[in-house]
Amino acid sequence: MAVIAGRPARGALLPPRLRAITGTRSGALAIFIIRRILWMIPILFFVILITFSLMHLAPGSPWDKNGGRQLSDTVVHNLNVRYGLDKPVPQQFLLYVWNVTHFDFGLSYQYQGKTVSDLLLESWPYTATIGVLAFLLIIPVGVGLGVLAALRQNTRVDYITMGFATIAASFPNFVIGALMVVVLSVLAYKATGGNFYLPAAGFAVDDSLIMPVVTLALLPIAYTARLTRASTLETIRQDYVRTAWAKGLPERLVVIRHVLKNSLIPVVTTLGPTFAFLVTGSVIVETVFAIPGIGRAFVTAIESRDYPMILGTTVLFSLVVAVANLIVDVLYVFIDPRVRLT
Amino acid sequence: MHIGVWSRALTLATAGVFIAACGGNNNPTQNLASPDKQILRANNGTEPNSFDPTQQTYTYERAVGVQTFDSLFRAKADGSDIEPLGATSMDVSSDGLTYTFHLRQNEKWSDGKPVVAADWVYGWKHFLNPALAAGYVDPFFDLTIKGGANYGNVDGTKQADVDAFLNGLGLSAPDDHTFVVQLDHPAAYFKWVTTLWVAVPLRQDIIEKAAGGSFPSTDTTKAEAWANNAATIVGNGPYMIKEIAPKDHVTLVPNPNYWAPAPHLQQIVYYEIADGNTAYSQYNTGALDMIGVPLADVTVVRNDPKLSKEAILIPTLSQYWISMNTTRAPLDDKNVRMALAKSIDRDKLVNDIEHGNGKSLDTFIPKGMTGYNTSDNAQSFDPAAAKQLLAQSGKADQLSKMKLLTRNSTASKTLNQFLADQWNTNLGVNITLDVIDSKTVTRDIRKGQFDIYGLDGWIGDYPDQQDWFDIFVTGSCHNLNWGCLSDPNYDKLVSQADGDSNKTERAQLYTQAQKLLIDNAVVAFMYQPYEYDLVKSYVKGLTVTTTDDQNLPGDERYNTAFITQH
Repeated sequence: MAVIAGRPARGALLPPRLRAITGTRSGALAIFIIRRILWMIPILFFVILITFSLMHLAPGSPWDKNGGRQLSDTVVHNLNVRYGLDKPVPQQFLLYVWNVTHFDFGLSYQYQGKTVSDLLLESWPYTATIGVLAFLLIIPVGVGLGVLAALRQNTRVDYITMGFATIAASFPNFVIGALMVVVLSVLAYKATGGNFYLPAAGFAVDDSLIMPVVTLALLPIAYTARLTRASTLETIRQDYVRTAWAKGLPERLVVIRHVLKNSLIPVVTTLGPTFAFLVTGSVIVETVFAIPGIGRAFVTAIESRDYPMILGTTVLFSLVVAVANLIVDVLYVFIDPRVRLT
Repeated sequence: MHIGVWSRALTLATAGVFIAACGGNNNPTQNLASPDKQILRANNGTEPNSFDPTQQTYTYERAVGVQTFDSLFRAKADGSDIEPLGATSMDVSSDGLTYTFHLRQNEKWSDGKPVVAADWVYGWKHFLNPALAAGYVDPFFDLTIKGGANYGNVDGTKQADVDAFLNGLGLSAPDDHTFVVQLDHPAAYFKWVTTLWVAVPLRQDIIEKAAGGSFPSTDTTKAEAWANNAATIVGNGPYMIKEIAPKDHVTLVPNPNYWAPAPHLQQIVYYEIADGNTAYSQYNTGALDMIGVPLADVTVVRNDPKLSKEAILIPTLSQYWISMNTTRAPLDDKNVRMALAKSIDRDKLVNDIEHGNGKSLDTFIPKGMTGYNTSDNAQSFDPAAAKQLLAQSGKADQLSKMKLLTRNSTASKTLNQFLADQWNTNLGVNITLDVIDSKTVTRDIRKGQFDIYGLDGWIGDYPDQQDWFDIFVTGSCHNLNWGCLSDPNYDKLVSQADGDSNKTERAQLYTQAQKLLIDNAVVAFMYQPYEYDLVKSYVKGLTVTTTDDQNLPGDERYNTAFITQH
């Protein structure tokens, strides 16, 4: 956790050799990172415990089908034996945790003969590609629009930018996605006789990425823009900014060196969770654009009570969130010199 | 086959039933596109959970299974009988207990090795291995195959037990081209069982190689190691898998060693687009050649001058019904059940809710199969008679306390709200919907904890009546017989018919059984769904049959299909 300075340097009571390490800035950082990584172990344990309990509390077994003829009791029994579901639940839990410590996330119930690790590796690259691209779009566009609106506060630029942000934030992404498909794919295809249109679905490293990335990025862009605007407005009223103007610095320098660096601190705070949100996938975007990503895989796993897959995905998502937050905390050190690591 | 695939556009029709072959030109010599353009791109909806046909249960799995593996026989295009695939002929002993299949000479696997009888024995044993617990064993182990009756009592973790069971099965290979199956009792329908996608040969050497050596029969992980890798899925079917792009598509190419003449289609790409609207957009932007029309777009397609020409309406061998819990008062009263059955306007249901994609049907066996017979109109829509029946029973108040168990999907909710409205309007009873999570619904109906449940239904595995009538025999409570009907008269008729080799006699017995079901209103029969698909005009020569996959018209006989220049 990052806190503002004011406490004695950490490690004051350590032996001199270790104190020497923690005493330096990079040494403190290293210790901080190691400690945070070790903290992930109990966090993951509780994530698994909670997920495991909720999962087993949900009604229905993995072998119940969503309609139609069901498996006979004998087949259900043999399947339970096959996947160890005949054992008492606490024993199943301990067994799972034991396997996880050996990096064995088990076999999927839904996809025969496939391990959860296989399934995660299969689908995550798609989700991550789209998420990272969306993230790369958010920083320049969201921050840019926010700063622009703040610097031109109460002008037409401000109103248009914030109007856009409000609309982007209030439309659900399945509406935006579906509308884009209708206009940019179907209608464009008809209007141009198939010469110029965006693919309605599928994943490839080409123009088929445009619509999913934009759909996914719109909400965070809107959010980032509003946040940046608010924090920039606060910063430009600070004394040191007035001083910078008074010194006669050009606008470019004032904005980049004095305003932006300080107004970005709250934005960076949100970028961590935003990044985690983006790379863990959106069911809606993945369904609308038929992307074989992890968001859809997760929902399918929940619907079919594919226990190992549910747990595996949850563990992965928790790791992503924890790592993203760690990176944000480390970034603080570089953005805000007042921040001390404890 | 499960009808549980609700999301797969059950979807339109007016009175006229037709199977279109997509326009006039079906002569492949004219206007044929070059081989590199002979690609068919269709939407299969969902990724198969397994590429091992013996482990497949859902339609979207079978769709790939039937391309990559051939069973002994298949249904003729008109569904009247079976025709040869892996076997060229069969002999049945006079007692009806021994089936000798004469395998196709020179049949080869996709890697060029000959298919031998031992492969069939191995494949069927793999399927019937209790440790693997394949989802579709029911038609096999219901006492049909000799030694199979014990299937349910084998402990899948004990190797000695599993081996003893497998060795005791009546499956043998006296020589390379003869596969013999012994039955426990005469079964007139058994020839149809041999058409199922699960009853295929498998390659022991390849399965063991993929597993890293031979493995015990109880090792379920090693037994399936081969089935997730296109290179080790060696089949005897007309196509083979070239590429598996998980949750995106499967690409099939012709099996160069297949016994029949090479097909025109050089590539079949089955996309796995779950959302019907997305698939519809893909079709409209030329990225798919074949889709099932989503219910929401049916009217648009009908009214579109171009799309309506590309649409085909296919009757499916299926039927929907409402299950009533005959063990709960007042539904234990036949008159009450009949009143419910007689107060639903099925024509209105088909037109308003299904946009005409279906045929109202108040009897059991669907049109297109032997046994289709609408003469028994006991359940036909008749509000006046329904009211009278309910008044006679004096249980209207009790009936208003009943709940209609409903799966939490838009399709189920829309349909069931219609049913509740009909009962309200035509019968004056107020039956409310109990909408809950789909898995919980399944748990409840399995335990018999429901009043009324629907719609449920059945898609035939094969066009034989046994496949339908066995649903309602005593002890088949997991098998759509949710009310756990136990009627000794019905059981007797069905078991007699199942074993009867005399066609006429058999049909008569089933007709009597059907009458029992209808007249006792065990379930209320509703309608036969039709499939409404779109196929691009340049896809020609499809042989569309009622046993095809719903969203993949012509998929059982792609050898006749071809792409024209466009």
